[in-house]
Amino acid sequence: MGELEYILLFGLFHSVTYLVFSLGFSLVFGVARLPNLAYGSLYVLSSYLAHALSSYAGLEMYWAVPTAVLLAGAVSLVVGELVVKPALKMPVSVFITTMAVAYIVEEVLNMLMGLRPVVLSLYPGTSSILGIAVSNHWLLVVGVCILMVISLTIFLLRTSTGRAIRAVAESWEESMRLGIDPLRVLRVTFLVTGIYAGVTGVLLAPLKAMTPSAGWSPLFAAFAIVVLGGVGNLIGTVVASVIYGLLEQAVVYFLGGGIARVVPLLIVVLTLVVRPQGLLGRGE
Amino acid sequence: MAFAKPSIKRRLVRYVPSITIMVAYSCIPLLGIRGFWLDVLTRANIFALLTLSLDLYSGTTFYLNLGISFIAGSSAYVVALLYRYLGMVPEYSIIPAIAVAIALSTVIFLPSIRVRGVYFSVLSLLLPLIMVSLITSQPLSLYLGGEGGIPLPSLFSSYARMLPPRERIPFLQLTWFYLTTALTIVAAVLSYKLAYSNFGFMLRAIGQDEELAEASGIDTTRVKLLGFLVSSTLAATAGALYAAIRPPVTVDVLIPANTLVPPLTAVILGGMGTIIGPLATNYITIVAYELLWDAIGRWRTIAYMLLLIVLVILKPQGVVFHIYLKLRKAIATKLSSVTWR
Amino acid sequence: MSSLLVCEGVTKRFGGLVALNNVSIEVGKGEILGIIGPNGSGKTTLINVISGVLLPDDGRVIFDGKDVSKLKPHVRVSLGISRTFQGSRVYPYLPVYYNVALSARSVYRDPEIARAKTNWALTVTKLIAEAVELPINLTPFKLRMVEIARAIVTNPKLVLLDEPFAGLSAEEVEEVIKIINKLNNLGVTFIIVEHKLRYLMKLAERVVVLNNGIKIFEGPPSEAIKDREVIQVYLGGGVS
Repeated sequence: MGELEYILLFGLFHSVTYLVFSLGFSLVFGVARLPNLAYGSLYVLSSYLAHALSSYAGLEMYWAVPTAVLLAGAVSLVVGELVVKPALKMPVSVFITTMAVAYIVEEVLNMLMGLRPVVLSLYPGTSSILGIAVSNHWLLVVGVCILMVISLTIFLLRTSTGRAIRAVAESWEESMRLGIDPLRVLRVTFLVTGIYAGVTGVLLAPLKAMTPSAGWSPLFAAFAIVVLGGVGNLIGTVVASVIYGLLEQAVVYFLGGGIARVVPLLIVVLTLVVRPQGLLGRGE
Repeated sequence: MAFAKPSIKRRLVRYVPSITIMVAYSCIPLLGIRGFWLDVLTRANIFALLTLSLDLYSGTTFYLNLGISFIAGSSAYVVALLYRYLGMVPEYSIIPAIAVAIALSTVIFLPSIRVRGVYFSVLSLLLPLIMVSLITSQPLSLYLGGEGGIPLPSLFSSYARMLPPRERIPFLQLTWFYLTTALTIVAAVLSYKLAYSNFGFMLRAIGQDEELAEASGIDTTRVKLLGFLVSSTLAATAGALYAAIRPPVTVDVLIPANTLVPPLTAVILGGMGTIIGPLATNYITIVAYELLWDAIGRWRTIAYMLLLIVLVILKPQGVVFHIYLKLRKAIATKLSSVTWR
Repeated sequence: MSSLLVCEGVTKRFGGLVALNNVSIEVGKGEILGIIGPNGSGKTTLINVISGVLLPDDGRVIFDGKDVSKLKPHVRVSLGISRTFQGSRVYPYLPVYYNVALSARSVYRDPEIARAKTNWALTVTKLIAEAVELPINLTPFKLRMVEIARAIVTNPKLVLLDEPFAGLSAEEVEEVIKIINKLNNLGVTFIIVEHKLRYLMKLAERVVVLNNGIKIFEGPPSEAIKDREVIQVYLGGGVS
């Protein structure tokens, strides 16, 4: 009883968080032409920062969380400037440098905080939806995530910076001809996506045990979603996130959390076999 | 003709330095180096296989096969599982394990090898991490050893038991050293030959312009697949040996920080696709790491990573191979000046 | 004259854009066909479809009596279609010799034949002296020659040249034309894509004019410059 509702509800909840996270990943992928492997560490970093700011610096939660998110954005910006931009001429380089950043963040957190998971508490208590007990925090998460998706969509479609980002994602050469500076766009993209990763991090920290290596799993989810939905494809990303979230929750429910780790792998491999350009992607 | 092969005598002369190095390296135990440092060199030999694996494929095509952790890890686990469930000792299970690991990685990576672009690299980086979480979480941890890993008898330990107790460990250390050295020499010679053959140059061509390679007659899928298979064989051999020499098999073999980062550093520092550079760098970094243990210790990964970032940005063509070329040139001019007079 | 290559109703779309719209061409054995048209008219797309870099959405490509529409580029090379790219594409960090030899090696199983063929191609294009150079040290003219050497080393029946004269001086253009004529006398068929008609006047027996992915003219170059539609397409651009 309630099995289907449970899977649907939590599947959709997860979908929304994956959507926010993978939108940022997809945006960088589109603009820089390469995956930012340090993206997952921003997610971890922001929750650790929020934790540190509230427990060690004594900041109130509603101050600590936005500060942590902004700091994640700043770190992302620095990563983009120091590590991605100088390496852009050789694709392999970006790969190695962002991976290296991810490992550095992971190691530093390991040394400073140890392997013990971090717990954040933002909005305690539970409510009931469709007869299923849902922690209030989930509602906060879903609300914020939807807000962030809408604002990103408006940003991309309506503002001139957003249009510039889309132009660069389409073609570096064309956008340069139109007088857009791709490197400036890259900077903005890293800042914005860092904030998006940071928000997902602080929002999910109370729900998932946050460890220094926790960033890899959502990174792979985002990668699977982007492969499935097509790089830089907004609607594709939305559809893929929903599919991914539902599928993952179904597998978790019926087969257990361990097996569920294989879901992104299956999605990536199958997509590459059947439709390499993504679910809604265009052909070459 | 301008592009005919050089004479046999000249070719033999060219091999003198490398043969000298190989012989000298094999003589290290005769110098009285035993125990800890022999173990370090054995480990360096195994990592040399991983470095060759990475350099042969990724150093030429620039398709980062970050999955060497996955391939090495799966062959290590197959060795362990064959003992646990079938009682097969490593002496017999190494070769089947290598075969299984190659088959597994081919099935998983084939779709992404076909596709151009970065998918292959991301997949190969994240795959071992998935394996780690699979192995350490319920219900599979019951069958795959979980965090504690799978114990198994080490390679040749049944023979060692015939010796008096005091001689057992030195015997094993020496045998392992020579086994891994022999394999590394074979692998190094083969990799060098391959990397500078037409096939190696086809891999390089694909790395430089894949569309052009395809349009000018190279069967890119076939070349990439073959390159991947050779590279996987090396990585799988390294994994199986690692399992057989340093039991128990734990998820540590799968974690990229352990089995990917040192070879990757060696490849980047040594000069991508040059085989000699990364091979030399592999030994230098591993020995240097042991020497500097007190100084860096747990900062190892961070040090490696910072080194990688700086190198990739400032000197993507590598450092060690550059030095080697300069050295060779200096020696060559010196030699020629001697002979001319 | 029997035809070597037939394109039947080839159509290629990119998203909403139609790059080639129902284009049919036929090339006879030993012919030199010119394809001209303004930028974005679909010339390069047609070359890409014939060489297999792109697959057509509609229509067929028949080469030497065989439907090759679905074949991969490297298979087409071994059947005898080779090509060059716009703006000289080469492997920047491989010596000239390997730039050419790798194509030879992938078509000829016998390494000795491949070696001999490579030496021949480098001789024809006068590249022997530059064989061990890296392409990044070469002039644009020599780079073009590397491309041509690579295209002819595979013993092609049909060579597709994409803007072979772009960026070259008058003497260099003469050099290229000489090589084309030399190979043509040996029986190699050419399709030459050019932006300007001038160079094709002497070279091609027949030209096809494309505009917005549609074939608007087919005939001898001397008639092309009189055709009203062709003149209109080129208005201001200059046919000569």
